[in-house]
Amino acid sequence: MAYSDKVLDHYNNPRNVGSMDKSSDSVGTGMVGAPECGDVMKLQIRVNDASGIIEDAKFKTFGCGSAIASSSLATEWLKGKTVDEALQIKNTDIVNELSLPPVKIHCSVLAEDAIKAAINDYRSKQTVKADVGQMEHAVA
Amino acid sequence: MTRDFFEFFDLPRNLSIDTKDLEKRFYALSRKWHPDLFARKSEAEREESLEATAVLNDGYRTLREPIARALYLLKREGFDVAEQGSKDVPADLLEEVFELNMAVEELQDGDESARAQLISARQRFEAMRAELDAELQQKFAAWDAGHDKAALTEVRAVLNRRKYITNLIAKANVPDRV
Repeated sequence: MAYSDKVLDHYNNPRNVGSMDKSSDSVGTGMVGAPECGDVMKLQIRVNDASGIIEDAKFKTFGCGSAIASSSLATEWLKGKTVDEALQIKNTDIVNELSLPPVKIHCSVLAEDAIKAAINDYRSKQTVKADVGQMEHAVA
Repeated sequence: MTRDFFEFFDLPRNLSIDTKDLEKRFYALSRKWHPDLFARKSEAEREESLEATAVLNDGYRTLREPIARALYLLKREGFDVAEQGSKDVPADLLEEVFELNMAVEELQDGDESARAQLISARQRFEAMRAELDAELQQKFAAWDAGHDKAALTEVRAVLNRRKYITNLIAKANVPDRV
């Protein structure tokens, strides 16, 4: 099976590889995996708390070229979007952009799951922070 | 769906299989369904013998190997084995596999001094896999004892983990000499 030029480009020059401090309240981390292929993907976003805009995104994926390309593309798309806009990214968008063949569609699903997991993580941190804030307020 | 391999071999749907017994059944069925015996039979019967031979070969290959056998049974029992996605991979397993991958990658990028570490990492993964295989035997026995679906869920969890570890073993492979 031949990879598309776009997959090869992301595979050879992956964008935004790296990691962020996952204990930061502004950082959301999504860790997902596909045991059948042995892939594991970590995707992180850093959100501006005031504007709700994703200022930075990083990923690290251990898996096939399509999984790496899907997550690399996802981080490119995430930057500059609001969290709500980011939730609109669908795996089919990734499939179309990268011309993924049917056997590699699950790689794009993994990337979409990673985005959702990162956003969930960020949101749950914000909720906890809000709760703590209220409690502190009540105590004061 | 094709004929069920366990039914075809007239075996209970157990995960522990006596492979010697399986081999005997394979030879007996091969003789029974050999296409040569059907050469002068009707078109439909010839067709049937060809189909049976295909099921026989696929079935034997699948049931002979414990991992392939378990994956097959999971699929037949309604588990989405080829299911794409992460839905029921425990977070701590992903975390662990990710860290192990990071470590292996670092060693691969390292110089000659990383070689020994890579070799010991590989040995550690192989030991982990041996443990998982032992655990798998227990889970197989648990399923065989009562064909309780909950046991299969546990079989699948071990298989998922094993797949990750197997990948790590392949990654931590180092040539004997550089």
